[in-house]
Amino acid sequence: MKVIEWRANPKLSKVIRFPGEALSGGRSGYLFLLPTAVFLVVIIGYPLFDTIRLAFQEVTLRTLASGERPYIGLDNFRNVINTSEFKLAFRHSMVFTITSITFQFTIGLGLALLYNKAFPLRHLFRGLTLSGWRIPPIVCGTIFLWLFNFDYGFINFFLLKTGIIQEPVRWLLKPNLALASVIITNIWLGIPFNVILLASGLASLPEDVYEAATVDGATPTQKLAHLTIPMMKPTILATLILGFIYTLRVFDVIWVMTGGGPVNATEVLPTLAYRETFEHFNFGEGAAVSVVILGILLVVSLLYVRTTHEEVM
Amino acid sequence: MAPNFFAAPRPKPRKMLNQGLLFLIALVATIIYIFPLFWMVSTSLKAPADILRDPPIIFPSDPNIAIYKEIFGQPPATAQVPIEGLLYMKNSLYLGLGTMLLTMVLAVPTAYALARFRLRGNKLFMVLLLLTQMLPEVLLVIPLFIFFRDLTLINKHLSVILADTAMALPFSVIILRTSFLQVPRDLEEAALIDGASRLRALWKVIVPLVRPGLIAVTLFAFLYGWGDFVFSLSFLQNKELHPLALGIYNFVGYYRTRWEGVMAFSTIIALPVVITILALQRYYVTGLTAGSVK
Repeated sequence: MKVIEWRANPKLSKVIRFPGEALSGGRSGYLFLLPTAVFLVVIIGYPLFDTIRLAFQEVTLRTLASGERPYIGLDNFRNVINTSEFKLAFRHSMVFTITSITFQFTIGLGLALLYNKAFPLRHLFRGLTLSGWRIPPIVCGTIFLWLFNFDYGFINFFLLKTGIIQEPVRWLLKPNLALASVIITNIWLGIPFNVILLASGLASLPEDVYEAATVDGATPTQKLAHLTIPMMKPTILATLILGFIYTLRVFDVIWVMTGGGPVNATEVLPTLAYRETFEHFNFGEGAAVSVVILGILLVVSLLYVRTTHEEVM
Repeated sequence: MAPNFFAAPRPKPRKMLNQGLLFLIALVATIIYIFPLFWMVSTSLKAPADILRDPPIIFPSDPNIAIYKEIFGQPPATAQVPIEGLLYMKNSLYLGLGTMLLTMVLAVPTAYALARFRLRGNKLFMVLLLLTQMLPEVLLVIPLFIFFRDLTLINKHLSVILADTAMALPFSVIILRTSFLQVPRDLEEAALIDGASRLRALWKVIVPLVRPGLIAVTLFAFLYGWGDFVFSLSFLQNKELHPLALGIYNFVGYYRTRWEGVMAFSTIIALPVVITILALQRYYVTGLTAGSVK
């Protein structure tokens, strides 16, 4: 296991790896883990199992009341996957996730490289860049709903003033622009996460290699391309994969900004799963969409494990 | 006069120019990044008429806190529908405190065991925790709804607290485990040799030493419940039980044009989060980077 350390805080990066014999705990140690294990099995494990089971059952509000949950094979998947709503949601999910992480990552890497250089107040700036990290997504959604407002939003005002647009733009009412708007919002939300992971990775790179390269007369661009990027490869991969996993599941931002509209224009797989379940009360089909999301996450994680394993060998 | 060998070499002009340039880039980037949060607070402090000004007022020179008064139970005579701000806030506090308590009860012993004991399956447990952290909330909300419905927990805060605890737990355990790993073992061994039981040693010797990590996790778990949206939206149909995040959602539905109100609600939810993250960021940063273990 490799732990990426945040070198700016040496006190925290000192990790003791092997507890001594006197404290090895013995069998009673498992008692400490038991409550959490039981809790997670009940609140995460069972629901996960139930999602997969639901996807193969007919469960609507009617069957829920009677307690019967007949198995219907792949019918839920057939009913869901063949709809144009699902195809749209799948495409939007991919566009949303890939565009979001491309920009989040690029901006995050740029800022991480910047904060890795020495200049006045850099720790303050880096700290402020993390301030939005745990903002509840719903709040982020309302802020950008206001920023993108057609009549009085700051974004239209700014673009009109700088002459970039001549007419105010209906950001959230035009299908293509609505998708772009929620993507921009999500990029903002994801920047701190990318900065944290990439800056920690940069801080843990060995300095002597750079000193040697400077002695050999390497230019900054050469150092970036031939030293930083190759050495950062594991961190970069981890950031991208985790970014994908955390972006594919985004729900709140879209739900509050557009509700998936206008006319499905911002419907993604999580909003579709939610709608099937809590608006159409078709729990089976909602679960089928969930299973598709789970499948995508599984494929991505396996790809990740595979690439990192090749790295090691 | 003897030369002072300890003085830092005077920076060369070129280097100073470089640093100045980097400073400027960072300043501009930070201003752009912070702007949405600033705009949220700024809008919430404007009178309704000032919000619709063109050009917009950037810094409200005469802050108007009427909307905060209205949210907290002092509606003006002209108000149509009362904004039940205090009720929302009370419910958010319940969710936050409940999530906080349950998370701490579960996370402290778990993190301690993962840091201290050599148990078979320790690594597997960590990996499972990390995987739990990656599960989409929407994926859990569907089966949990059915599960809690069978347990008649729907329309009870406990349902949301249980779900939020499950989501907050992995990150909390990771942060706490890192804190426990930094406590010198000798200290704990000494306490054990003195005849203190392990639990007593944990409470009297270790807990005071990991206090910053504990505070970071306590606040993290609290804020998870405080800002909850998806689980409340799905499990709490009774309006009396709605937290702030649902209040804001209802508010946007009722009064789409009252932006000072929408932004005041947003500020109330977001401000504690931003302050906590800025104050304790190094603990969260360690947790996040340790959480991306491969």
